[in-house]
Amino acid sequence: METNLITDTSTTNLTLLAVLLPLLAFVINFLLPKHQFKWAGLVATSAIFLSLIFSAIIFSRVWESSHILHQHLVWFTIGDTHVYAGLLLNNLSVLMLLLVNLIALPVHIYSIAYMKGDENYNRYFAYLSFFCFSMLALVVVDNLVLFYSFWELVGFSSYLLIGFWYKKEKAVKANKKAFIMNRIGDIGLLTAIIIIFTQFHTFDIEQLFSAKGLVVETILKNGLWGALPASYQYLACAGIFMAVFAKSAQFPLHTWLPDAMEGPTAVSALIHAATMVAAGVFLLGRVYSFFTPSELDILAIIGCFTSFMAATIALTQNDLKRILAYSTISQLGYMVMAMGVGAYSQSLFHLVTHAFFKCLLFLVAGMVIHQMQHLKEEQQLDTDPQNIQNMGGLGKQMPLLFLVAIIGGLALVGFPFTSGFLSKDSILVQTASWSWAKGGAFYLVPIVSVITTLLTAFYVTRLIVKVFLGKSKLGIDLANQHPAKINLAYSIPLVFLAACSLFLVFSLNPFSYLNSWVIKGFSLYPVGEGNIWLPIVISLLSTLFVVFAYLIYSRPNKNIIPQQGFFYKLSYHEWYFDLYYQKLIVTPILLLANGLFWFDRVIIDGFVNLLAKITITLSKVAAWTDRNIVDGFLNFIVALAEAIANFTRKFQGGKVQYYLFSMLVILLVLFILKTVF
Amino acid sequence: MLSLLIFSPLLFGFIIAVMPSRLRTSFKYITLLATLLQLGLSIWIYLNFKTGAAFGGINHEAQFQFMQKLPWINLDLGTLGKMQVDYFVGIDGLSVTLLVMTSLVMVIAALASWEITSNLKGFFILFLILDMAVTGVFCSLDFFLFYIFYELMLLPLYFLIGMWGGARREYAAIKFFLYTLFGSVFMLLVMVGLYLSVTDPATGNHTFNMVQMMNPANYQHGSVFSVLSHQTIFGFSARSVGFVVLFIAFAIKVPVVPLHTWLPDAHVEAPTPVSIILAGILLKIGGYGIIRICLGIFPEVATMGAYWLGLLGVISILYGAMNALAQQDLKRMIAYSSVSHMGFVLLGIASQTTEGISGAVMQMVSHGFLSTMLFFLVGIIYNRVHDRSINNFKGLATIMPKYTLFVMIAFFASLGLPGFSAFIGEAFSLTGAFKSSSTNGLLPYWLSVCGSLGILLGAAYFLWTLQRMFFGEVNLKGGAVWQTALSDLNLREKLTLIPIAIMVLVLGLMPSLVFSKINDSVLALISYLQTK
Repeated sequence: METNLITDTSTTNLTLLAVLLPLLAFVINFLLPKHQFKWAGLVATSAIFLSLIFSAIIFSRVWESSHILHQHLVWFTIGDTHVYAGLLLNNLSVLMLLLVNLIALPVHIYSIAYMKGDENYNRYFAYLSFFCFSMLALVVVDNLVLFYSFWELVGFSSYLLIGFWYKKEKAVKANKKAFIMNRIGDIGLLTAIIIIFTQFHTFDIEQLFSAKGLVVETILKNGLWGALPASYQYLACAGIFMAVFAKSAQFPLHTWLPDAMEGPTAVSALIHAATMVAAGVFLLGRVYSFFTPSELDILAIIGCFTSFMAATIALTQNDLKRILAYSTISQLGYMVMAMGVGAYSQSLFHLVTHAFFKCLLFLVAGMVIHQMQHLKEEQQLDTDPQNIQNMGGLGKQMPLLFLVAIIGGLALVGFPFTSGFLSKDSILVQTASWSWAKGGAFYLVPIVSVITTLLTAFYVTRLIVKVFLGKSKLGIDLANQHPAKINLAYSIPLVFLAACSLFLVFSLNPFSYLNSWVIKGFSLYPVGEGNIWLPIVISLLSTLFVVFAYLIYSRPNKNIIPQQGFFYKLSYHEWYFDLYYQKLIVTPILLLANGLFWFDRVIIDGFVNLLAKITITLSKVAAWTDRNIVDGFLNFIVALAEAIANFTRKFQGGKVQYYLFSMLVILLVLFILKTVF
Repeated sequence: MLSLLIFSPLLFGFIIAVMPSRLRTSFKYITLLATLLQLGLSIWIYLNFKTGAAFGGINHEAQFQFMQKLPWINLDLGTLGKMQVDYFVGIDGLSVTLLVMTSLVMVIAALASWEITSNLKGFFILFLILDMAVTGVFCSLDFFLFYIFYELMLLPLYFLIGMWGGARREYAAIKFFLYTLFGSVFMLLVMVGLYLSVTDPATGNHTFNMVQMMNPANYQHGSVFSVLSHQTIFGFSARSVGFVVLFIAFAIKVPVVPLHTWLPDAHVEAPTPVSIILAGILLKIGGYGIIRICLGIFPEVATMGAYWLGLLGVISILYGAMNALAQQDLKRMIAYSSVSHMGFVLLGIASQTTEGISGAVMQMVSHGFLSTMLFFLVGIIYNRVHDRSINNFKGLATIMPKYTLFVMIAFFASLGLPGFSAFIGEAFSLTGAFKSSSTNGLLPYWLSVCGSLGILLGAAYFLWTLQRMFFGEVNLKGGAVWQTALSDLNLREKLTLIPIAIMVLVLGLMPSLVFSKINDSVLALISYLQTK
């Protein structure tokens, strides 16, 4: 990507249209009067259809030419800093633009049928359009403030969609959890953006992270990063990692994704499998030049660990969507790891191929769940329609579904002739050569990755066998049941996505990812040597595991795997993350909150009230003094005067006898006095 | 123009006072008219407010706009000289956005006053007096005038809480009154000290002019607060004492932890319109006072104490948020969230960077609207069933979908979702706080990092409340009686909520509406702070 800037007004306008059309659909659907709800699906779908056409045009203009289109205008000014709003189109963003629309369109079509009859049909499509708007905007914006804004809005629309059935207590808890965990990542990203702004005084992605950008030119050495201490760089990097781990569901912030499956299945397909969760990887791609080699190593290790952990959990889960969710986490781990080992283009390649086959698998899951729900209602059973232990035999009933599920499953495992083979193995090859260069404990990374691939083969086979083969575990003869009608709104998206899961879409040669157009589009980043032997060995091993799993699970009603061991429990309880997060983080925070409230009420407010009480007591003392001492003295004088007056009053009673008597007494006294002295 | 803005409510108050009580139903319309008129005036002022480096304001008297300066009290005190108090009003970028915000919040508060049923005459007269006082505070440039308006707010508020409040209204009213009075009494002492220290260069008299108090040359040599002579009070530097006293007075208003405990009580007990005014406007007077007076008159002390201001800000953010998380009463939860959100204001101010102070002003404007909206929303549910305990409600989204929509807008805007105004305010307060460590070295960077945790906690308590009260199956403590009582929004409520919702959205999308007006003043303030 040379910094070959073009300012192409028509492309800019097209991009704006592509991004804003879903927003328009959101507004229309939001304002739709009640009796016009049935148009909601059509409005949203046509918006996304037009958006797809525009983004295809944009893609064709930008991709081959290696142009970078960057246009912006001042959004607002704060002090001396101009904050811009603008577009930045390079190969990465146009690829994502096209991909999001390519996935969104089938999901929209599917949703028209899938959500039919829901009382909040229009709200569903409004939310879905809003998500598409945020996601499309996220991939084309040119500065970090806007990037953060849409990053959060994507999380927000995911919140709305997970909690779409807001009466379900589990769904509401799940969306709260998803938003808060994403918030943890968001504050990481915010901190990172603030640090980058403090260091470089700009939010512009192009200026910061391009090949000759500010980030590349600022060298980290001697404990200094430009003018700032090196710790700022580490902190910013940690912030970005947090953001990536939260959005792309990596350890340790992955636990929201399995719970997010409470949302409608079509939503899981679009948001929690193909697009939104890939935003973390996209962020890594946008700011790739920021990281130092050792930071990338950390990324590789965490990605590798996450993919392994998630694969082990997927082995034992019984909820159909949860298995797929963990498999998504596992595949996202591959992408993050690929970024870490320097396999930039392979990571994005896997992002693209994964989007198609995982979306496909989710849409299949949606149909399976509908069918199980239908059976449950018809037979009046009390079963969980998502539990694969209750399924079986659906393959005969719904052959098309079975076929596309197998294609999706094989792509996920990475079998030859599928797209997954090309992308996954391209990552593994690069990881191997990376560890070769590093040596030591780094050999563990490719080894664990290969094990993860084999585990993937195992759980995918388990899933397919339990759902589609054998007999129904509900004890119903499915032959007598009408299968759910697969109309065009279902079959077109399924067939389209299945076709996109095959090798032809990406490379004419089924065994060489080096020829793939996606890889070639990022030719700036080294791809390394191709290697044909490693993929073939892995494929053979995977086949073994598929057969192994088939043998285990195709036998009816036998549990060969012991369900008591430590490892089984660890896997089944999802490594106990939720339990310990609840115990070690949520509960203490709530306790602290209550403690602080007690402190507030009793200590701080108590102090205030104590002051008031002291004042009141003091004033009472003063009042008592005033009444009894000050006033008492006065009263005493008054009483004294009164007593004297009363005493003397008697002498003037007006009675002659008294006058005579007192006169006599006075004379007598005078006489006595005179005689004595 | 400003005088008209300030005193027009008083005129309407007078009209209400002389009207016979049998026309009491019209009082609310008269009040609404008064506030609408005021809103119109303030929008006119906003539109005609000139921007550019020549209109920075802050410490240049000539750069203020819509000024009016009349001699007011001129007493010849013989040997003590002449006492000079001016009626001096004027605005710069800091005041103008807050003025518009104030007048809009007043309209909302007037609309919220529909719920008042007893003693209407008294209520609306006090309401309009309060309106005058708060508007006056934002416009005054004479410290004496400022103080009069400042004290004048307390009186109507005391009665408004004490007479029309909830069950513990008398306790709350007196607590609020004494708390605030405690701050302002000492403010009076500092004000007199400043008066005796500063002389008007034109007339040679002592003066209360705040703009002249910002110029060190105007201080008399050897006077208490003189910048050069380093006087002490009780062994502390006199100017530091002056700063701390004024800061405490305003910190009580903001409120800053640990001076905040009047707030939950006052908010919870006050009737809805008064809660709206308290949270929407009164708290901003604290922030405004800190910027205009504490930073303006004692800039070098503010710089010295910036670390402590920032620390208090972060403590407020986290402490307020944690307390909000622990609340069972919806209104109390929102009251504590106010403490948390206002902490960002203090943090931004403490940073003394353009980003920080602009962010702080933005956060004040934004919080003015958001807290108004939140308290109005609580008022709606409380009026319907006279209960607002979070645990007594469940599944409100099913019975009150429109209400829930507005609650979600208010909650998400408050927790800082991009696209709404609070995001801009909080993000730039934090940016300023962080930048401070590398530009002026006032705040360590961990303060900003800790502050950002407040955003996380904000999401936690708002979403938890949403989950507990609004989602899930319907389950009300009051059963079917409540279910019928809890009707969805009526037209008046919608008309009240829609403008604020639009305002917070518009400010989030076009923050330049605020920033373009305040920018020159903030730059002037920063350069003033740097030169001291």
